[in-house]
Amino acid sequence: MAKTDLFLKKNLDSSVLFICILASFSLIFSNNNQKIQKFRSTTLDTFSFLYKPFDWLDDQLFLTRKLEVLSHENLKLNLENQILASNKVENERLRDLLKFRKRNELNLVGADILSKGVNSNMSSVLLDRGLVDGIKKNSAVLSSRGVVGKVIFVSNNHSGVQLVSDVDFRLSVKIIPSETEGIMRWIKSDICEVAEIQTTSDVQIGDVVLTSNLSIYFPPNLPVGEVISVYKKSSSSNKVIRMKLFADLATLNQLFIVGEDK
Amino acid sequence: MNFSFSRYLFIAIILQLIFAELLTFGGFQPNIMLLFVILSSIPIESTSRATIIGFLIGFFSDLVLFNGFYLGLSSLIFSVCAYFASQVSFNFAYRNFDLYWLSLVLLGTALYSFFRYDFFFFNDILFFIKNWFFVSLYTSFVGFLVTRIFRVKQLVLQDA
Repeated sequence: MAKTDLFLKKNLDSSVLFICILASFSLIFSNNNQKIQKFRSTTLDTFSFLYKPFDWLDDQLFLTRKLEVLSHENLKLNLENQILASNKVENERLRDLLKFRKRNELNLVGADILSKGVNSNMSSVLLDRGLVDGIKKNSAVLSSRGVVGKVIFVSNNHSGVQLVSDVDFRLSVKIIPSETEGIMRWIKSDICEVAEIQTTSDVQIGDVVLTSNLSIYFPPNLPVGEVISVYKKSSSSNKVIRMKLFADLATLNQLFIVGEDK
Repeated sequence: MNFSFSRYLFIAIILQLIFAELLTFGGFQPNIMLLFVILSSIPIESTSRATIIGFLIGFFSDLVLFNGFYLGLSSLIFSVCAYFASQVSFNFAYRNFDLYWLSLVLLGTALYSFFRYDFFFFNDILFFIKNWFFVSLYTSFVGFLVTRIFRVKQLVLQDA
């Protein structure tokens, strides 16, 4: 005991550093612990007031630009809607004829980004919607253009979103029209890679990437991106596809969380 | 203590939030809290005290400043940087002040990048280096401005 005391006194600085490193690692490895997550959620709820002035300032500074982008997008979507409306009538009639099951409409909850996180290279955002708005952990998160991430923790009034651009994010996707399925992960800026693609699959540049029917958390057929290149890695027998995300991760403002079914 | 710790901690938090929410370029933002931990640890004589303060500020950053979702990562990096920062001798810090904090910023951002982008470290080293380089560059640039505006060298060395 005396020897230990003497050793600690002699190496106090190194011992403290060692203890701090040990404590940090135990925190990192217990990130998924329920109690830790609850503690984080409560703290974020309590201190969320810190972000409000900056969020407000951000809105004021970039309001004109945001309006411009939204007006442009609105016009584009209006034109698309007119075409889709006529297709919808025909599609519903055909599904009725084939006695297909009715599709559930998505319940989308609009949310503002409260913080983009003090973390270089944005990989997570904080939203102003939480348990009281019907948000659950692992809910899909979309922008007006497509999938951007999923909820990783939720408190009463806030939720943390893991963005597609996080290195640990994976998403099960399918490529239309060939219905080829694969696993998507982020590469850089708005480029992602879809792996595990069969060599025989017929994927072309310009094909659309949607969420697959295999995902546990993501509803099927949500838009994700567009194929920009197809190649074969020498180390693998499968094809690899590079795709561009529909959503622009650099200009995220308002997002939509897929809530419980209507 | 001439170096008013709590006052500068408050300024660091505000600056970090300003940069995080309004001054992010290409997804990159400077790590002001890391800068604060390094600069504030230089005058602290007791290395163990500096290490614990670094750990606590890291814990606060992860918890309150919404630092992604790896609770504990900032604690780890800040305690390591605080440990090295507080070990410097007065003479060395006086002669090589900028060089010293810059090296520690490089070390801190390298550790951050390694833990966050370990996948790229093993698969795409160029992308990893690019990330590390831009964050370090931005943090160092802001560091230069901050050390000049707040006369940090005088403040820190007065207290050392």
